[in-house]
Amino acid sequence: MPAIQRVFLAAPTMLLAALVSFLALSTEPARAQNIVDQWASVKPPPPPELKPVTVDPKTTALLMLDFVKPSCNPERGSRCVATLPAVKKLLDEARGKDMLVVYSAYGKLTQKDIVPEVAPNGSEPFVVSSVNKYLRTDLEKILKDKGIQTVITVGTFAHGAVLTTAGASAERGFNVIVPIDGMSFDNLYAEQYTAWHLSNAPGIGNKTTLTKIDMMKF
Amino acid sequence: MRQTPITCGTIALVATLMTGAYVCPARAADIVDEWASVKAPPAPQVKPVTADPKTTALLMMDYLPKFYCAEDPRCVATLPAMRKLLAAARAGGVTVIYSIAGNFTPVDIMKDVAPLGGEPTVKAHADKFIDTDLEKILKDKGIQTVIVTGTAANGAVLYTGSGAALRGFKVIVPVDGLSSEDLFAEQLTVWQLANGPGFGKQVTVTRSDMIKF
Repeated sequence: MPAIQRVFLAAPTMLLAALVSFLALSTEPARAQNIVDQWASVKPPPPPELKPVTVDPKTTALLMLDFVKPSCNPERGSRCVATLPAVKKLLDEARGKDMLVVYSAYGKLTQKDIVPEVAPNGSEPFVVSSVNKYLRTDLEKILKDKGIQTVITVGTFAHGAVLTTAGASAERGFNVIVPIDGMSFDNLYAEQYTAWHLSNAPGIGNKTTLTKIDMMKF
Repeated sequence: MRQTPITCGTIALVATLMTGAYVCPARAADIVDEWASVKAPPAPQVKPVTADPKTTALLMMDYLPKFYCAEDPRCVATLPAMRKLLAAARAGGVTVIYSIAGNFTPVDIMKDVAPLGGEPTVKAHADKFIDTDLEKILKDKGIQTVIVTGTAANGAVLYTGSGAALRGFKVIVPVDGLSSEDLFAEQLTVWQLANGPGFGKQVTVTRSDMIKF
């Protein structure tokens, strides 16, 4: 075949190849897609396994996180209020075993703002901070002075105080017990990812046990 | 006087007397029971942002070998965009700070985004403020805004991002600069940083090419 004909035949092929490679390049940003692009396609992983747990009352503290009237009331939503009977049972058991019970609130709230169903008894430590209850408080000292090795985190908001303080506890070397029926937020997605995150996050999941209040023995 | 709490039982009793029926929205199910019915809320809006080079620090977290980044395709895929962001930050005079974890040292940081001499490195687990002088480094330089990038999304980025916001810094989160081998972990990290109680309002979700210095 004369060279000139080969060129004519090759031209459309080359054009096509150029077009294909242009399209391929133009649809290939640095990372094909970021998480916001992929948002709608994200499937939640299977739920974490809930495990029975035996608590050593001498080395375990119960952290009662932000059970305050402005956050835990029927007008705001039902999920925190609905945790109160089980949390009260847990609190009674912990007190019955002389466990350390620590309360928290945020902002300008005081112990008087804790909902009456699970109110502090007056001698239990109380710390005030935003979602990380170790930040600008003596929580770590309170726990270490008492030889605490494990904390049980219950409270509202799930993805606020529970996620952050549970994670911060694990980072400080404590084992963490999270009874899922003791944490709440009126956004199921936030509760879901808090449960998953605490049992899977790097450096945190291996120190955390997800459970339910009636699966805990003292 | 001790206040009587209005419980669901009280509402149910009154409603039953008045109307004959009321189903108490008690928490019959917990989140594991409800797992399959949970729908993710919409993604936060990705917004352009201008950062002042004098008061902004870029945190390059845990770009390390093995499972941290080198063996995670999603982390490796962030590197071209992070190289560009790093170059723009350095050119603009932005403070660049690195972190490492585990048994690694600064020389282990992946060469694509390796530190230059003089750029500090801190070492911690997920929250890079714990047992490090990160807060001091930032405050000594007058930093008011941090850009958080790295891996794992739901480790270093989530806890250092929220930790910065809780310490009063503004936080910029480029969604193409965080990674986890699990998409759900990336998603929860972005939503948590944008909506976290007490700190979400300090956070701007963006993309690396939407950050101007």
